[in-house]
Amino acid sequence: MAEAERCLLCHDAPCSKGCPASTNPGEFIRKLRLRNVMGAIRTVKENNILGGACGVLCPTARLCEKECSATGIDRTIRIGKLQRFLVEHSWKIGFNPLSGGRFELPPPAAGRVAVIGGGPAGLSCAAELARNGCRVTVFEERAEAGGVLRYGVPGFRLSTEFLKKELEDVKALGVTFKTSRAVGPGGPRGLLKKGFRAVFVGIGLWAPIRPFGGEQGAGVISSVSFLELFRRGKPAPRKLCSGKTVAVIGGGSVAIDCARTALRLGAKDVYLVYRRSFSQMPAEEDERLEALNEGVHFLLLNQPTGYARDKRGGLAGVKLVRTRLSGKDASGRRKPVDIPGSDWVLEAGACIEAVGNKPEEKSISPGKLISADPATGKTSAAGIYAGGDIVRGPGTVVQSVADGKAAAKAILKQLKAAIC
Amino acid sequence: MLKKVDLSVKFCGVTFPNPFMLSSSPVSNSAEMIARAFDAGWGGVAYKTLVTDRIPITHPSPRMHGCNYDGKRLVGLQNVEQTTDRGLKPNLRDIAYLKKHYPKHIVMASIMGFSNREWADLAKAATDAGSDMLELNFSCPHMAVEGSGAKVGQANDLVRKFTETARNVTKLPLVAKLTPNVTDMNEPAMAAKAGGADGISAINTVAGLSEVNLDNFIPQPDVFGKGSISGYSGPAIKPIGLRFIAQLAKNKELGLPLSGIGGIETWVDALEYILLGATTVQVTTGVIHYGYGIVGEMIEGLSDYMAQRKIARVADLVGKAVKNVHETSDFNVRRQGIARYDLDRCVGCGQCYTVCRDAGGSALDWNAKKRRPALTEAKCLSCMVCSFVCPVERLITFKEMPKTWKRRKTVTLG
Ligand SMILES: Cc1cc2nc3c(=O)[nH]c(=O)nc-3n(C[C@H](O)[C@H](O)[C@H](O)COP(=O)(O)OP(=O)(O)OC[C@H]3O[C@@H](n4cnc5c(N)ncnc54)[C@H](O)[C@@H]3O)c2cc1C
Ligand SMILES: Cc1cc2nc3c(=O)[nH]c(=O)nc-3n(C[C@H](O)[C@H](O)[C@H](O)COP(=O)(O)O)c2cc1C
Ligand code: SF4
Repeated sequence: MAEAERCLLCHDAPCSKGCPASTNPGEFIRKLRLRNVMGAIRTVKENNILGGACGVLCPTARLCEKECSATGIDRTIRIGKLQRFLVEHSWKIGFNPLSGGRFELPPPAAGRVAVIGGGPAGLSCAAELARNGCRVTVFEERAEAGGVLRYGVPGFRLSTEFLKKELEDVKALGVTFKTSRAVGPGGPRGLLKKGFRAVFVGIGLWAPIRPFGGEQGAGVISSVSFLELFRRGKPAPRKLCSGKTVAVIGGGSVAIDCARTALRLGAKDVYLVYRRSFSQMPAEEDERLEALNEGVHFLLLNQPTGYARDKRGGLAGVKLVRTRLSGKDASGRRKPVDIPGSDWVLEAGACIEAVGNKPEEKSISPGKLISADPATGKTSAAGIYAGGDIVRGPGTVVQSVADGKAAAKAILKQLKAAIC
Repeated sequence: MLKKVDLSVKFCGVTFPNPFMLSSSPVSNSAEMIARAFDAGWGGVAYKTLVTDRIPITHPSPRMHGCNYDGKRLVGLQNVEQTTDRGLKPNLRDIAYLKKHYPKHIVMASIMGFSNREWADLAKAATDAGSDMLELNFSCPHMAVEGSGAKVGQANDLVRKFTETARNVTKLPLVAKLTPNVTDMNEPAMAAKAGGADGISAINTVAGLSEVNLDNFIPQPDVFGKGSISGYSGPAIKPIGLRFIAQLAKNKELGLPLSGIGGIETWVDALEYILLGATTVQVTTGVIHYGYGIVGEMIEGLSDYMAQRKIARVADLVGKAVKNVHETSDFNVRRQGIARYDLDRCVGCGQCYTVCRDAGGSALDWNAKKRRPALTEAKCLSCMVCSFVCPVERLITFKEMPKTWKRRKTVTLG
């Protein structure tokens, strides 16, 4: 509440424009400030079904909080924290603004819609459709819904309990979940034939990119498998890390998550190996600093070139060559170039590869991103929509929520046109 | 989409879409502004006080001063504004415009005459312009014209006389707006009733002097080197407004519907006025602070409150708290209690110790090593000042003690 007091309640609130999913912080903070707490919760959850998760995970420093006028006199209002507070408060007081009769749900006459993938994009699309009277079925390959929030982001950042509560808010809208149900390549069309009026595809990126042309072997694991096994409570990640020196390859948020997880699993030392400099890392500043403070060693300006093996084929270390920054590359960042003759081996008992994810091979869009209109999610096939990471490549939770919502609006328009 | 709750109220026989009104002030200065306020959700307006064109009004400049407390802005507002400075004709045209374009919204023209004759002329003119009701302004604390404003509100015979004058020329409901700068508001209220008033609105601003400039010794607002005692409004005066509304509501002989004013910013403030007897509520400083949009928060907040408690009509809330307002002599002082500390959550600031020692029962000891207070229950006065300064919410609460419990007497020196 003290934080809300600091808000300047700007005219034409810039923070609201900074949110891809239009969660409308300007409005919910103002409501909170004027003691309209339930209204504030309503604003968050109506606009963003994963408002709680976004409050925890959003890179606010480059979204809403970046726009905050309060930075002109002081520091930004901590919008993410306020948003999270409101959602947790709604659970505490047992108020779900999207159900329980507070909403006039139209009769489920608009038709059946299938959503493939229970990640942020799929959940947001499903919720928006259900709120508008559609009967929605979510097909999810894994045992539980949530996507990366359930099987990627480590529990110390977003607890399973927290996610569960937020998923219940979706379920309360009457969305049906069919879990452990992967949809194959011809799936979307098949679902249309089965009577679903529209299909939304939000399957994300679940195939790891391999840094050295597919070579892996003992002691090496991809970030996808590592984090997923960890989130499923399997013993493998602990076995891999405990008491060992662990190298993590990559400089993004996923690499940071892997490094921090490895530390928590009892690794002796964790090296984050990145070929560029600290300020060039794609990971958010706050997570970089947290990792540093927790004791992750940042091994910068080093390019991994392969694995060193011991006599029995076990992992001995990661082969590295030192780099220096030269002129700018296509991305506008200074490019790392190898320093000849500077090869060395970082001794390590385990290595986690976290250099990126791509679409899965045996899936709806084998090995490729799906092309869809970013404003509506429309693909070239009538009745089939897509959004989230499978369209944009690696993105954020909030952008995926925005995509799901936008697609739902387009689907509703399609359904309405069909009725009239 | 919020499930619609019916917020409509009937006040002096007039149906309002909701109880939220702009009070008579700059926020209700013209049709252009009021139309935007209606669009934002306000149910009615007390139009900025009309006067005849006989004495032209020029406002002092600057005309307001915002009072901050610590970091909090506009805890109070000091103003030296007069009645409308627009001509009577343009104002009447604006009133007619509003009634034409917003027939369901309520326009209550506020009027103030400087003579019996003027009261009659204004009441008639405002009626002819299409006002739904009239508010008789007996309460401006800083009118520069003799025989007007709060000076009338403090003279009961004039209140009665001018109300009668208005009553004789119009059939519209008459609401007398009274000043808090009196000892007992029931006297002018009864006088207004005797003169034919249908309702009472209160309070207008409290006569005050909020701040002095330490460099040049001029009270604020500084009107080219001069300050003055003038009208104080905003959250700081809410307790005063609630007091008067409660006193009027408790007066069975009066029995008139009330419009509550003073320091309302949120639905909670509005509901407190309603629970103490107001049927409608009016706002100025809240709008000066946040703009017309605050009514959206009031509507949503009150609707949620009513929906949650399954209250169908605002009327069911009006006056609900009045029976719980007693004379202090009615309290049962045989029941006594003390402060209870939940020290598991204590952060060790020690403010409780300081204030208990210097302003309470000196009932706390301070464990310097652990940085924790220790309460001697028998010395606790249950003044609760410790809980007012404690930064941890609900760490210090009140608990009743058994009948057999006895408080120790205060130490006497010498
Ligand atoms: C480790 C990690 C940490 C991250 N941290 C953050 C962060 O802090 N903040 C942030 O904003 N973003 C973060 N991101 C990015 C963010 O999680 C993603 O952008 C977002 O989850 C994408 O949502 P999505 O719905 O498109 O896909 P996903 O979350 O990937 O969900 C796709 C779902 O579809 C299912 N699926 C896949 N194929 C099929 C199929 N054939 N049939 C049925 N179901 C299928 C999957 O099981 C999955 O549940 C992080 C990503 C990772 C990997
Ligand atoms: C700048 C200003 C001008 C006002 N002018 C009038 C007026 O013309 N007529 C009137 O009846 N009250 C007038 N008031 C008093 C308000 O209508 C209201 O009674 C008072 O401000 C208390 O309410 P609040 O705390 O919501 O501001 C004025 C108040 C302010 C601040
Ligand atoms: S609020 Fe507007 S009218 Fe008043 S002083 Fe400022 S600029 Fe002038």
